[in-house]
Order: sequence, then structure tokens, then C-alpha cells
Amino acid sequence: MLVPPHGGRLTDRQYEGSEADEIIDQVKNGKLLTLNAREKNDLEMIGNGAMSPLEGFMSGSDYESVLDLMHLSAGPVWSLPVVFAKKDGDPDVSPGDNVGLKDIDGTIWGDMLIEDIFKADLIAEADKSLGTTDDSHPGVMYLKSLSGVYIGGKIRSIRRKETESFGNYRLDPKETRVLFRARGWKTAVAFQTRNPIHRAHEYIQKCAMEIVDGLLLHPLVGETQDGDIPADVRMRCYEEILKDYYPRTRVAMSVFPAAMRYAGPKEAVFHAILRKNYGCSHFIVGRDHAGVGNFYGTYDAQMIFDQFDPDELGIVPLKFEHAFFCSKCGGMATPKTCAHDNEYHVFLSGKKVRAMLAEGILPPPEFTRPEIASILMEAARKGDN
Amino acid sequence: MKGLVIWITTAEVSDEAILDKLGTEIEERGGRVEVFHSKAVENLGMDKNEKAKAIACAMLASHGVVVITSGSDIPAIESGEKLEVRIIEESDLYRTDIHDSFMRDLELAGLVPAPRYDVHPDEEKEILKKLQDLGYLDD
Repeated sequence: MLVPPHGGRLTDRQYEGSEADEIIDQVKNGKLLTLNAREKNDLEMIGNGAMSPLEGFMSGSDYESVLDLMHLSAGPVWSLPVVFAKKDGDPDVSPGDNVGLKDIDGTIWGDMLIEDIFKADLIAEADKSLGTTDDSHPGVMYLKSLSGVYIGGKIRSIRRKETESFGNYRLDPKETRVLFRARGWKTAVAFQTRNPIHRAHEYIQKCAMEIVDGLLLHPLVGETQDGDIPADVRMRCYEEILKDYYPRTRVAMSVFPAAMRYAGPKEAVFHAILRKNYGCSHFIVGRDHAGVGNFYGTYDAQMIFDQFDPDELGIVPLKFEHAFFCSKCGGMATPKTCAHDNEYHVFLSGKKVRAMLAEGILPPPEFTRPEIASILMEAARKGDN
Repeated sequence: MKGLVIWITTAEVSDEAILDKLGTEIEERGGRVEVFHSKAVENLGMDKNEKAKAIACAMLASHGVVVITSGSDIPAIESGEKLEVRIIEESDLYRTDIHDSFMRDLELAGLVPAPRYDVHPDEEKEILKKLQDLGYLDD
């Protein structure tokens, strides 16, 4: 039996086809609020159940409870706010209103029955959720761009498969759960990534695969910051490596349509909970998971899990050191398993790899498999990374 | 699951069948349930009063049981440990929206199990077809 969803059951507030048309007809001539890119990602993930038990954007009580206690007011663990901000130009609305939710192009993606409208102290939110109020943190910059008024309430989201990128890889939580069961998996480990796959990632994934039934490769394809490798390039890398280096029946790849918040440790917990909803019993947490710059300690994203009772979390974090190729060991290793000095270790930073690719130099095979290096080189030539 | 007392407040003469119905619902989800009818107090040889019933309920709940009982008054339930007590009007249990909301709150608080399937069996067949079409089940 797979791990149960967070809060016991999957939220299902996603509609398509004629049901979606009905929602659009109900709201298109009424008040419409504007979704930014993150909120659009969140709307999709609330609707498809990835953010269960959330049924909508948070009310003030959940917002405060999450910021202060890392729990929803009803009880379950939850580490980051999921909120909808009122924008300049949005119409005035009141609790009880059912409003449409549109993107900046005017396309309606759902609706919300407003339960609460509340003012937020965005600096306090930055401090509590991101651990910093420094303007150079992308999450702080995002918060400071908001109005400071949040609107909460249950949503219904609209799915338009024909417009989706990576359509063949877009599995909702209930779909990954059915897939895992069909393959006979009782346990699965999720790997979150916003980087192309290098040997270090492969090593960590395969270590984790030794103790579970299957691996869910779950590249994040929602909004990221400039400088991250584009999702389509990362996906091509994964498609290539899956051909020859992984047992097909023990790996599933699907995209994770979340926006990055760069909230470090709290985002690691957030990512774990969402993967639990996809049916995963384990979640790989590397060094500085979801971090940015030097805002978080190397192991903060691993240590935060110790604050929770394992039962209330319901997913097991697998904490990994950074991996490298050791020329003296003759294989991949981590500081936990290798006795040799750094001079024997092949490890390149993302910045160094990008610089090498820009100069037309392929990273060494001990760092990146040649098939992956070729894809990255081609993307670099086209200016994709 | 930790224990819980669900105290259904009733009119003087209540239909205790609602207790059994709620008990069956929680039992089908995998919860350990005892339905505590008013007559049970007498059957246990205890005083026929609400206080005695409350003590018996608290004892059962302290062992991780979901205890469902009813009464017109709610006595203070004394227990050595913090005891979860949730109160609902009998008439509200007949309203689907309030009943569902009450049960969902108990689920989220970790007091009763959620329904046993995460995907409805009918929908599961459709999803399997989709997964086959996408090539996820080729092997």
C-alpha cells in the first residue's frame, strides 16, 4: 500500500472539457483577478491534488499558522504560504464573491470562492519563510513586488492539456499513484531537480533506488530564475540518460509544475510533502536543497526535517552529501564513503560547467556522461544555457 | 491514531441509530470504534448518569479508540492525559455538507483515518488507459 496523501486524501478540484467551459461561463462576465506566474503554478497544483490538503489559496489563519508554527490551522505540517495577492487593477472584491482567475493575457484558469481578505506584513513573511529580508534573495524581491493584500478561498482550476509543455510527462498525483501500483511499487523515492543530470545525481538516485521499489524523477518545470538551465534542455538530458543507464521498470519520469521559491530548508519540507501526495514514501534531500546564493547553511535543508515527528510528516527524507568521482577509489563516492583528499575528486560547479561549455569544452566523463555533455554543448551553442 | 470522543448532542429523545451509522463509517476507514449507547452505562453496572458515561468514554479513548456517544448534556470529561473531544449536534449529522466538513476536520487533525482509496476505482481504470497510451506501462 502506498503512503497516504498528506491530510489523508487527495484534493481534486481540477476540471477540463465541458466542466471547465461551465466554470468559464459562470465567471467570464464577472470580476476577474489576475494570477502571476507563481500563483498560476500554485493554482494548477492545488487543483490536481499535489498540494493536498489545500483546497484553495490560504486564509489568514492558515497563513499565520504556517509562518509561525509550520502547520496548517487544521493540523497537518505545512512549511510555506500558498497565497494569492491582490494586484493593481484588480476589481474590489469581498468575502462570498466567486471570482474568475485569469493570467496576464486574460485567459481564465479557474475561479475562487473568496473566504478571507487580509493584510500581510511582507517583510515578516520574508523573514519567517525565507529566513532573510535581503533584497538580493529572489524570494524577497518577489514578496516586495506584491501589494501586501492576500485573498484566500477555495479554488477550481481549469486544465488545458493542449497548451501544456511536456504534455506526455505531466502526471497528476493520482496518476503517479496508479502508475506506482500498476508497477507493483509499494515504496518510491522522488528526486527533485532544477539542474541537468550529472554523474553525482545519478549516483545519489541509484543509491536511493537500492532501498525502495522505484524512482520518480521529478524535474521542476515551473517558474525558475534566470540563469537556471531551461527545463526543455534538462528534460532532453533525462530522456537521454534513461535510455541506457536506468532499469526502465524501476524509474518513472514526470514533470513537477511548481514554481521555485528558493526558500531553502522550508522549501525542502514543502517539496517533500508534495512528493508524498504523488505517492512517494522517500524524498532525496541534497546539500543546500532549494537554496540560492549563500543564504542557507549547507545542511539546513536536511536538519529541518528533525523538527517534525516522522508520522506527521509521512515521508522519509534521504539525506545525501555531495557526490563526486574519486580517481583513487575508481568510482563515485561522497565524503561519507571516500577516504581520499580533494585532489583525487572530480567535481565541477555549475558556473564552471557553464564556462567550459561556453568555451566549447566538454566536461569530463567522470563528471557528466558524454551523451549529456553533448546535449548541454548543443544548447550552449544555441544560447539556451 | 490517538483516541477521541465524539459527543453527539441530542434532544431529549434521540435516534441512536445515527451513532451506529457514524461508527460504521469510521470503522470502514480502518478506525477502532466503540459506539457507546446510553444503555451501555447500565450494562456496565455503572450509575445511570452522564458523568459515569463520560468516565467510561474517556477510558476507552485513552486506549486509542474513537468513542461515539450522545447525550443532552456534556459533562466535563476528566482524564489523566489530554483527551480529544469533538462535539456535534445530532441534526447536523443529517446534513451532508456539515457531516463531511466535520469528518474532514477529524481527518486533518489525525483523529480518524481518511477513506481507504486515494483514487476512485472507476477513475483508476481511465488513468491506467492513459498511462498505457503514454507508454508508461510498455514494460
